[in-house]
Amino acid sequence: MKTFTKLALSSALGALMLTAPVAIADDEKIVVGFATAATGFMQAYDKPAEDAARIRIDEINKAGGLLGKQIEIVAADTKTDRAEGAKAGLEVLDKGADLVVVSCDYDFGSPAALAAEGAGKVSFFLCAESIKAGIQGVGPKSFSASVLAAVQGATMVEWAYNKKGARNFYRLLDTWTEYNKGICDGFDWMMPRLKDAKLVGEDTFKNEDASIAAQITRIKSLPQEPDAIMICTMMPGAVSAIKQIRDAGIKAPILNGSGVSGSYWLSAIPDLSNFFVPEQGSVHGDDPNPDVNKFNANYKAVTGGDPSSQYVYPGYVLIDVWAKAVERAKTTDADAVVAELEKMKDEPTLFGPRTFTSEIHHQNRGRYLITEVSGGKPKVIDEWTISDSIPVDYLANK
Amino acid sequence: MAERTSIFARTVSTPIILISILVLVVVSAWFVGRGPFNQTVIEIFIRVVLVVGLYVFIGNSGVISFGHIGFACIGAYMTAWLTALPAIKKKYIGLPDIVLSSKLHFGLGMLAALVFAGVCAFVVAKVLMRLSGIAASIATFAVLAFIIQVYSNWTSVTGAQMSFVGIPIVRSVWPYFICAVLTVLVAYVHSISGSGLALRSARDEAIAAAASGIDITRERVIAFTLSGAIMGLGGAMFAHSVGVVTPDTFYLTLTFTTLSMLVVGGMNSLSGAVLGVVVLSIIIQFLRWLEKGVDIGGSVLSIPLGLQEIGLGIAMIVILIFRPTGLTRNQELVWRGWPFNGLSGRNHVAGLKK
Repeated sequence: MKTFTKLALSSALGALMLTAPVAIADDEKIVVGFATAATGFMQAYDKPAEDAARIRIDEINKAGGLLGKQIEIVAADTKTDRAEGAKAGLEVLDKGADLVVVSCDYDFGSPAALAAEGAGKVSFFLCAESIKAGIQGVGPKSFSASVLAAVQGATMVEWAYNKKGARNFYRLLDTWTEYNKGICDGFDWMMPRLKDAKLVGEDTFKNEDASIAAQITRIKSLPQEPDAIMICTMMPGAVSAIKQIRDAGIKAPILNGSGVSGSYWLSAIPDLSNFFVPEQGSVHGDDPNPDVNKFNANYKAVTGGDPSSQYVYPGYVLIDVWAKAVERAKTTDADAVVAELEKMKDEPTLFGPRTFTSEIHHQNRGRYLITEVSGGKPKVIDEWTISDSIPVDYLANK
Repeated sequence: MAERTSIFARTVSTPIILISILVLVVVSAWFVGRGPFNQTVIEIFIRVVLVVGLYVFIGNSGVISFGHIGFACIGAYMTAWLTALPAIKKKYIGLPDIVLSSKLHFGLGMLAALVFAGVCAFVVAKVLMRLSGIAASIATFAVLAFIIQVYSNWTSVTGAQMSFVGIPIVRSVWPYFICAVLTVLVAYVHSISGSGLALRSARDEAIAAAASGIDITRERVIAFTLSGAIMGLGGAMFAHSVGVVTPDTFYLTLTFTTLSMLVVGGMNSLSGAVLGVVVLSIIIQFLRWLEKGVDIGGSVLSIPLGLQEIGLGIAMIVILIFRPTGLTRNQELVWRGWPFNGLSGRNHVAGLKK
């Protein structure tokens, strides 16, 4: 048995020697750390947004850097695992990260964000859309670059009320994720505020359900087809649910969250029409802002493919707003940067304005492009900003 | 017959060797003194607790349990309820007011986790331990599924699938080190206790053991309860190391990771449980380090991302081909030289031989 002791001892010593040399914080550069998933299922969400963030960093570096210093990138793989996420966060902090960028999803990003919070550094979720991705679930130095899921639901119902004359709404919730519930929370908050708007029915299903025939029967048995159906769902179950609704002959407008953004799945439902999606920017090449289309071309040049969905954009936004705050604070010191971020009110970015306050480090109001899918082709037809911000208390208690 | 000394004297070197290995690990953390490495060491101690917890039941009884990670989940949520900030807990309206308004020290949280998981394990054991063999294994798996389903759907108490946040994060290695050492000691004392020895005899010769008057069910209930309590502690340690818990953390992946560490180490020995964790953790760390790229004489050598998992699988297969009964061949590490040479007596018979 002694050999095992030796084996264990020598391996332990080996592990000791394996630890890489210490990277010393350098005053000549600014370090941005990505504690994101390079492997595992979250990679599909993190990689595109991270690429967009790197594009913005490149642009800043080419334009002379931030505070006259070049931005250096360090990265650690979270492997789509919470414990590894905490380690990845600590690792990029150890390499001197002034900003820690964490996984898109709150569940998988929070361990690294908590590590950053503990070290007194600013953290940004790539594209999380839960209010917990910020002060409420991490702490006062944590932010998210996207817009709350609830704003998507609220945007769609208010827009359909005003622009489509919808009065009778039907609400269909996929109970799979917090994100889905978030969309419907926004819908629930906005709809009663609209005069004469009423909920004629509601139902739930599960993303994995092969058939939603029962739910469809209940919609069809309504005395009259609703003016609009709000579906709070996401991929992959969304495709099947939408296809079944249309196959059953229900032609009412379908309102969605951004979870169905992008055109990659549209071939599964040929001739889909009367279908509306809120997007922060258009991936279809028809954004009203030519700079967005320029960004899309740049993204394609760098990564070899078009942005697949609007979830690419928050990555770009986060570096943009953080860099502006650093410029204004003239330091990367976390407290000063947070103070500058919290002064931002309708700060313009390529993908809509951003506001941060000492109460909420997320967007409880925001501009959305409305994309209509007609005959299977997506096209931006409008844009909408909800009339009022969704109260923080309402969101936090959901 | 040769003169035999007490089982304690013959085996006491085992926990000393195992704790020395843990000391070596903690010293390396102290020596390196950096965040990510520290976290890796904390993770090793958590795994030691979980795998030793598995060993207390599986190793001694010979019944494979797929359900123990469920008790880790129970422990993790217990400490989360007790130690999280009241402001964050207020939406868990199903919890008693006293829990909602208080915020305990993490040490108390871990203790409560241990006790609560132990009680739950006792109740489960009372029902399940009449079964044996594969029926018992599958029943434990059903318990895991049951626990995870309850925790992922009971919104007012666990927050369902939402992450439970606001748990105080403990980044110092020492509490984890102390828990790991205590766990090893408890497992050792149990394995040489009358109950532990009776259970081991039942594992090797069930009929003979029963004929000798051993109440197998009773001994299994004791081991199951103890190991459930240790798993609860391990779950609580996990909660404090990451600061976030969700039910799906404690499901199949963790079940099979910990079980394979036990099997690779040597299922029937405490040394196997500890060595399995330490050796596999070192292999994982080495592969992760290769994934990141190593600078050798100016050129960077690196393996593709994701190869760590494959490499680990291959390493485990190789170990099992050459050591089908695990790294320790199901035996304990013992040291017979000084100062134990006087203790172990002449014509020594290995104390905890299989």
